[in-house]
Amino acid sequence: MNSREKQVIFGCLTTRLLVSLLFPSLQQQLDKAVEFSTPVTSFRSLQEGVFLLQNDLPVYNGGVVHHLPLLVALMSVVTKDSLISLLYAGIDAVIAYQLMLMSKQFSAQLKMPNWIPGALYAANPLVLLSCVSRSTVTFTNLAISTALLAALQGNVFLASVSIAVAGYLSFYASFLAIPMLFILKRGRLQSVITIIISLSLYLLASYKINNENWNFLRSTYGVVVTFSRLIPNLGLWWYFFIEMFEFFIPFFKAVFNIFAISFITPFSIRFYKQPFYAFILCLGWVTLTKPYPTLGDGGFFLSFVPFFQPLFVYLRYSIISILLFIHAIVLAPIFYHLWIDLGSGNSNFFYAISLVYALALASVVVDLCWSMLRIEYDNGNPKLDVQLTQL
Amino acid sequence: MAVLEKLHRRIVDMGLVPRIIASLPKISIFCALLSISWLTLFLPLEGQYRRTYISENALMPSQAYSYFRESEWNILRGYRRELENLKDLDIHERNTIVASWMEEYGAKTSINTNNQYGETLYGIVHTSRGDGTEAMVLAAPWTTTDGLYNNGGAALAISLARYFARWPVWSKNIIVVLSADPQASLRAWVKAYHTKLDLTGGSIESAVVLDYPGTNDYFKYIEIGYNGLNGGLPNLDLINTAVHISEHEGMKVSLHGMPFVELSQDTYKLRLKTLLSGIKDMTLAGIKNTTGHEAFNGWRIQSVTLKAHGQDGPFDVTTFGRVPEAIFRSVNNLLEKFHQSFFFYLLLSPRSFVSIGSYLPAAIALSASFAIASADSILNNEYSKLPLLSIYNIWALFAFAVALMISFVTAEAFAYMPLPSLLLAFNVALSFISFTVIKYKIQKPFSYRFKAFAHLYFSIVLTSLLVVNFALALAVGVLAFPMSLTKTTTNATMQQKLRNSLLLMSSNPFIASWILCQLFEAQLAGTSLFHSLIDAWTQLGCWTWYVLCIGWYPSWILVAYSSIDSIPIVTTSKKSY
Repeated sequence: MNSREKQVIFGCLTTRLLVSLLFPSLQQQLDKAVEFSTPVTSFRSLQEGVFLLQNDLPVYNGGVVHHLPLLVALMSVVTKDSLISLLYAGIDAVIAYQLMLMSKQFSAQLKMPNWIPGALYAANPLVLLSCVSRSTVTFTNLAISTALLAALQGNVFLASVSIAVAGYLSFYASFLAIPMLFILKRGRLQSVITIIISLSLYLLASYKINNENWNFLRSTYGVVVTFSRLIPNLGLWWYFFIEMFEFFIPFFKAVFNIFAISFITPFSIRFYKQPFYAFILCLGWVTLTKPYPTLGDGGFFLSFVPFFQPLFVYLRYSIISILLFIHAIVLAPIFYHLWIDLGSGNSNFFYAISLVYALALASVVVDLCWSMLRIEYDNGNPKLDVQLTQL
Repeated sequence: MAVLEKLHRRIVDMGLVPRIIASLPKISIFCALLSISWLTLFLPLEGQYRRTYISENALMPSQAYSYFRESEWNILRGYRRELENLKDLDIHERNTIVASWMEEYGAKTSINTNNQYGETLYGIVHTSRGDGTEAMVLAAPWTTTDGLYNNGGAALAISLARYFARWPVWSKNIIVVLSADPQASLRAWVKAYHTKLDLTGGSIESAVVLDYPGTNDYFKYIEIGYNGLNGGLPNLDLINTAVHISEHEGMKVSLHGMPFVELSQDTYKLRLKTLLSGIKDMTLAGIKNTTGHEAFNGWRIQSVTLKAHGQDGPFDVTTFGRVPEAIFRSVNNLLEKFHQSFFFYLLLSPRSFVSIGSYLPAAIALSASFAIASADSILNNEYSKLPLLSIYNIWALFAFAVALMISFVTAEAFAYMPLPSLLLAFNVALSFISFTVIKYKIQKPFSYRFKAFAHLYFSIVLTSLLVVNFALALAVGVLAFPMSLTKTTTNATMQQKLRNSLLLMSSNPFIASWILCQLFEAQLAGTSLFHSLIDAWTQLGCWTWYVLCIGWYPSWILVAYSSIDSIPIVTTSKKSY
């Protein structure tokens, strides 16, 4: 760890702790903000779960808690408020450090110092606010980045165990195991077996903790897959299902679920020579199509964009993407306020903005995808005067 | 995307890109002109606006016969006479006596005392038919906006409530509110109603504020006030209902203080005048003559003020009372909250309006004009090829953060210690910074980058204000536009410096808004504008002051700083991480 990296980690820790300390009410406000909190990631409901667990009450009967039993059990150990702040800040610092380690793996291709991705992650306001809001996506993000780093370093066991944790915490993250397998150069079968075994172990442990009851499956994965908490968020799902006739809903829920995982295998196969990049594209795809996304997911995905630095010359509408992101992030709370608080706007206002956000994410994914194909065509040496077009 | 790509390829082939980049300043000015002419030339044209219509069928204005007539005439006059006797009493004694009158006819009353803003008497007539979860408010502040004793308005409110109380048709509770004034005190009551009052009557659907000063029996025409705080407007259906009922009773309706002689005409000029004064009133809502309905903003309450004008005329005070009566009958019909009609509109006359789709392009063009000015500062100079993470961008971002901090401190410090002359003098001095700072020179790329960040930030501020408070966004955008015309200078001549300084001075948030109020708003003459801005924030929660300080001022500071004479530097290999 060189001095720059230490500075980045220190900066990451202190900004988060300072923001939590200086604005003590910010956590609750953000936890109620639609951009940073969903039923399945909200800290409030996690605390509810902790309370129920500590008082030996059935955690999943009330229909409020949608967090996994192991996470609830973990958080019931850490009860002091300052410790929770420290835990979240620490996790973010670890992710920043892991990003810097990842960029070391690619230092030959990347024409920038290794600490840049970590610094950008630490300075990313979306990640910062998501961390301050104590959204549980932070845990999932840690598991994903650990798995990615371990896979790059060839540590099959750690990679498999971590991706299993990510999949355990967030259903759709489990599909990221596919691009991860492509990153591993050896021991793929071993990895698959490890993932399956560790996932089963987590579930069994959850079963034990939850008073030998499987009902947690329904209120965690069940809620995510069937989208049964129909609440506005930044994603593409909620508006669709608000307006739909009852008898179409199961069909379209299946369609949306298939949509969310449909591009993961194709990405992994098409870019099998660049599996790390395939993994990031898959991450972007999941962020775009999952039922309960937050800005924390978006920020985490965007933190990987600096790794595409050799491809930046090929990006065709980076300015449009940036403008879309800025406008979506600025206007989303305003339009939500117009709809929910003032009542002068309506749900279309907020949905329009969540579409802009989806368009921003999609344009990033599509643009990166194009530049990947293009650099492949140019055999790694950018020939910018050659004009190509899609058929 | 394929179409876009084709278009893009075509534009590249035709060699348009450099030409477009070279003409960005012109495009920016064009956008601003387009915005203004869209609003002033285009919208008031015949065919560009629409006639209003009642969108919610349940309202059925004036379908029921209004009975507030001869039978109530003497009761109303009796109350008015008694109120005249109470005129010089202390407000608490007056409220106690009036409360006893209201209790006589079965209203439950309570007095809410706010230590800062005086006390408010309110009485609730509980519905005999509804479930008591919804209410309609009839408010009559003791003093009107003009500082007169609201004798007629209060007497009307009390006698209307007495008249309503005898009637079994109501499905919503009726709340009569008599506050000390139509500004802070009424606002304080509305806030208390939603947070801490014990005696409540359910969620308030609509509010009608009565403004009828004096004891005269007759009046000439009625004025409807509707511009809410922070750009909030009542649902157009409520205004349409009020207009429809008033005209049904034979009265002429005035908006935004249009004089009587102009009410019977419908010309391009008058539509334009109403439109512009509407935008002015909406920008200054809460800052100048707050008439009462503003107090209800922010709690999903649709509210209007009815104001009687003139001492002589064909209409007597019961006619005025029949307007709230019929509005209450209409609102009483509603099964849902107001939602059918427009929440975003501009009125061109009581019977014609433009909806958001028609007027929004004006503000979008203005916002785009600043975004283009920002792009111009990045692309149209020899430093356009600097990498994204160059030291210049990072420092410009840092400078922006500092400017934001300064603006915030200015806003807060001024709120504690309002010294308007000092603020204006300081900003005039700052506009002439290029004359005073001669030894120090700014590096040329910084000058460009500062402007780019300033304009981009301002563009985003405008965009986010667009829907929330259109009038404010437009006013701020137009007033700040000269800022985007300042030029980065090297070895500037006196003329160039003077040009920049004048542009800066005319686009300074404080100077520009002050000058505008001197010219067009007699009520805010002198430096009272600044006191009113602070009062509007502290008493009513109107955030115009913060839009000026935090939305506009940081950009202005950056542009002012970048107007210091610059020295060019070579930046070929200068990269920073």
